[in-house]
Amino acid sequence: MPNDATAFAVIAMIAVITFASRVSGALLMSRIEVSARIDRFLDALSVSVIAALVASIVAQNGLREAVAVAFAAAIMLGWKSAICAMIGGMGFAAAWTPILS
Amino acid sequence: MVRSSLNEREKKGGAVILTWKGVLRGGRRLFPIAVFTIPFGIAFGVAAIESGLTSTQAVLMSVAAFSGATQFATLDFWREPLAFGSLAMVLLALNARHVIMGAALSPWINRLPFGRRILSLSYLSDPNFADSQPAFQEGERDVGILLGGGLTLWVCWVAGTAIGALGGTDIGDPSSYGIDVVMPCFFAAVVAGQLNQATAFAPILVASVIAVALLSIVPTGWNVVVAALAGAFVGLIFHAK
Repeated sequence: MPNDATAFAVIAMIAVITFASRVSGALLMSRIEVSARIDRFLDALSVSVIAALVASIVAQNGLREAVAVAFAAAIMLGWKSAICAMIGGMGFAAAWTPILS
Repeated sequence: MVRSSLNEREKKGGAVILTWKGVLRGGRRLFPIAVFTIPFGIAFGVAAIESGLTSTQAVLMSVAAFSGATQFATLDFWREPLAFGSLAMVLLALNARHVIMGAALSPWINRLPFGRRILSLSYLSDPNFADSQPAFQEGERDVGILLGGGLTLWVCWVAGTAIGALGGTDIGDPSSYGIDVVMPCFFAAVVAGQLNQATAFAPILVASVIAVALLSIVPTGWNVVVAALAGAFVGLIFHAK
């Protein structure tokens, strides 16, 4: 097991990396004049990063997660509530295990 | 979809503020999502103790890092001698998407004074980004919602870790209640909420395909970053036509 000094060094390292990653995006952009083109780029970037995250999570899991996520997206399209969609997806995933396996 | 340059300016324009009211509103907005990080916090606390961390170290890690993926990855490295270099590479990969998110929020964040910029981004994570960015785009001007959402997530994550690390009670498999799909379902809902903008369709498609295609090629984390940048360029090209 790492000793106390090593443990706290690791925790400090994690803290620095996570904090730096959180603040550096906006700091990098502070030198750039946000034109209409950059604005569109950042808009597309926002939806792309979340879409990429979902796709990555789904691809690393099974059919159950994929169907639950698709179900949540469908609820969102119908009801326009992300909370309803989340609860729907969760209920679907909870019901999947006892019913299908 | 064609938006006039006037609308474009209105969309991003106006004074950006950071208020306590906004922080409270952000906390309330994200609370229904944040409560589900408690079971994951408990799972982390239990796993941390099993990996040989003391309860103080486990809680301190959640307080200081506030990042589930990062912290679980760290447990895999928890042996002597600790491979600092390899761990740092994994952590950079897992956190790089937050640089993207910070950049995406910069049109609003960077209109605050420097100290408030740093403060409002200190608790940036996937759920409060997914909640706040679309809100800013629709005219919300109080960055407090981002900070408040982040603080709520942080409190739940730290509380969960403390319960798991001190109580040591394994609450069982979160997947039997469907809790494991809460975050991807919420993110998918946010993406689906943007489908009414025709310009969002191509970026979503390209980003999703590339993220999956790169999974087995690059370390996890970088696939999301490359996919997001590709999606953003596609958005730029399609809009320009």
